[in-house]
Amino acid sequence: MAKKNNKFHLRDIILLALVGIIFGVIYWAAAFMYNALTIVFTPLKLPMMGNDLTMGLWCMAGPMAGFMLKKPGAPFLGEFLGAAGEALIGDQWGAANLISGAVQGVASELGFTFTGYKHYDWLGAVSTTITTTIVTFAWDWFRNGYNKFGFKNVYYFSGRLLSMFFFCGVLVMLIERLLERSHVMKREEFND
Amino acid sequence: MNPSFKLLLVLIIALEVSFTRHLTINLVLVAVAIIYLLTKRIRPRLFGWLFLMPLFPAIAVFITIAWFSPGHDYFYAWVLFSRIYVYVFTGAAITQTTSPLELTRSLEQNLHLPSKFAYGTLAAVNLIPRIKMAVKTIRAAGQMRGINLSWWSPMLYFKAILHAITWSDQLAQAMESHGYVEDRARTSVHQIALTARDWSILIISIILIQIITFALP
Repeated sequence: MAKKNNKFHLRDIILLALVGIIFGVIYWAAAFMYNALTIVFTPLKLPMMGNDLTMGLWCMAGPMAGFMLKKPGAPFLGEFLGAAGEALIGDQWGAANLISGAVQGVASELGFTFTGYKHYDWLGAVSTTITTTIVTFAWDWFRNGYNKFGFKNVYYFSGRLLSMFFFCGVLVMLIERLLERSHVMKREEFND
Repeated sequence: MNPSFKLLLVLIIALEVSFTRHLTINLVLVAVAIIYLLTKRIRPRLFGWLFLMPLFPAIAVFITIAWFSPGHDYFYAWVLFSRIYVYVFTGAAITQTTSPLELTRSLEQNLHLPSKFAYGTLAAVNLIPRIKMAVKTIRAAGQMRGINLSWWSPMLYFKAILHAITWSDQLAQAMESHGYVEDRARTSVHQIALTARDWSILIISIILIQIITFALP
């Protein structure tokens, strides 16, 4: 087997940006979920739960990109380029989107770094679930005032971990399995 | 103002307000962004949208801090509420006044972003209308066979990714057949100027923000 090339070519970059944007587009089909969950959880005195329970959806592009290209840097680029694409078309969150995209990108990248970029399997999926949960939670600690929530952070953190595991772990693995079976990523231009 | 510098300034603002808790600077920044957008003759309807769109998340954050957190810190609740509007309005100050093409050219020429990243992302951005169409088509095709592909269905993502793979192939080929070679020096017909004025606006704005943040209550 030829030595794997870890450089990103034009084709990879377009693909990663497209995947990031596709996940963003599908997310908007589920955007009502955030509002619905917030309304459901506010009487339970947990209004931010909607944010935590939908967080996994936002972070899917990173692990997906990692599983698709299996190169160091792919999870970061997948997440960040998707966010950049959404910012470029005038997504209302604007530049803040770029920053959260970078944070989420680093978060899912770390999961693959800790497994040495060798585990594109359940171990990798669980690892990226954990790093993404911790890093994005730390980010919200400062940005969304989670440092003020006290004991309730246990619920928020569990909610986020659950969401990450479902979307970034289970769902991404299911999609990866479909891609694997169809052999679309086996062509040499993606693995050269 | 130079598009890259505008982006840089907004990123610095977003980072700084994320890590400070200061109501005055948030309100000043929102006001300045609104005035800037007004001078650029932005449609009034857009203001309504910019105000309403983040209202729900902003209220969620507000009531969490003000009612349901141990400290009932109303001041901090307002800080977080206004912070969301800082992100939205300063972000709009870029996206509503600069086209993706201008910004891409500027990032490549002024900040020396490798052209494959700049144009690769731009190529994907230009496909967004087709991406939206494709997702609709995939769902419609599923419904015709009695299969509902919802947003948590792996099949929906899988089919959309298949489109992305084909498109990325075709786009890369199209760019290469028009003479694009990655990592090769490029000449540019459309020069994006980076003037002393841009530098001074950037530096003065940053200094002013620090003065307001740290000198005013």
